[in-house]
Amino acid sequence: MEIKVLEKGDKNMRLLIKGVDTPFVNALRRNALAEVPCMAIDDVVIIENSSVLQDEIVAHRLGLIPLKTDLDGYNLPEECSCKSEFGCNLCRVTLTLDREAKEGTVTVYSGELVSENPNIVPVSDKVPITKLVKGQKLRLEAYARLGKGKNHAKWQPVSTCTYKYLPQIKIDSKNCDACGKCVEICPRKVLEKSEGKIEIRDLPACTLCQDCMDACPKEPSAIEVGWEENAFIFSLESTGVLPPERIMEEAVKILEKQLKELASQIKVRKT
Amino acid sequence: MEDGGGKMKVNVLNKTENELKIELEGAGHTLCNLLQKKLLEDETVDLAGYDIPHPLASNPILYVRTKGDVKPEEALHRAVEKILELSKEFSKELKKALKT
Repeated sequence: MEIKVLEKGDKNMRLLIKGVDTPFVNALRRNALAEVPCMAIDDVVIIENSSVLQDEIVAHRLGLIPLKTDLDGYNLPEECSCKSEFGCNLCRVTLTLDREAKEGTVTVYSGELVSENPNIVPVSDKVPITKLVKGQKLRLEAYARLGKGKNHAKWQPVSTCTYKYLPQIKIDSKNCDACGKCVEICPRKVLEKSEGKIEIRDLPACTLCQDCMDACPKEPSAIEVGWEENAFIFSLESTGVLPPERIMEEAVKILEKQLKELASQIKVRKT
Repeated sequence: MEDGGGKMKVNVLNKTENELKIELEGAGHTLCNLLQKKLLEDETVDLAGYDIPHPLASNPILYVRTKGDVKPEEALHRAVEKILELSKEFSKELKKALKT
């Protein structure tokens, strides 16, 4: 097996994974989307809301604000030792919001939420919650919890998580007369023409659309697009709640946990 | 939708010398597809497949049939071990790749 980091930023990551099969990368993808926990507001107590938005709309908007997550410091409510419906300090974070439009129209932003834990704060301060006109008030207490993407999309730590086969482009140099039609048609600018030859500029960008094969005037086509079995380009884009590498690591850990759970139960049946 | 939280529960639906039909409560395509693939790679396995009876319930039914006198639960165990090995290697390689 071979893994290479193609691209890595604060929020995104692109990996080249060689030597694994589709069900395995798919399991990682599915786990990253649905099983890796992250924080989101789940319960809201509205003390006063005289804005034009109804309470439930405000609550829904609050839920969808991505919150920076501390996976090591907090437990999933269903696994927490407190076993309480309301949660405890280990499985719940309280955020408060108190805003009144003193004059004119104001927009209430996510940055105005005050968290009891300075590490659990909105990823962005600029998510609008609602607008208030002079005299209107919004006062509420919100409880954030860890949750899983399979229960609600607000608990999804990734916005994009996909994989594709590693493209393989073969150019038959004997047959090719470097007319450049394939370079022109390629929507991702994978190819380039240099010194009377067609060369590959950016292989991972190829979407395997095979338009270049159709565009080639030669019969048979001088360019051939295929893909490598068991080699993948895995792209992951975090919403900002967790670093992308952490999401990947957690996805593997969760897969291992699921397998161990299954194995332990089969062992029992064997006796 | 898969069930919220909770542990996986295995219910045996049918078991003979070389057949095993189990229900995996709390699992989904993630695990079953992986298991099926690994089981089919095993030469002693005659047939392996799974079915999700209802898309909103997370109780896939996994079926394994083996050839000769290999117990199906042994084959299943081997498949799990194989995937665990793969995931260990993966996390090792991932750490290595992220360091550089």
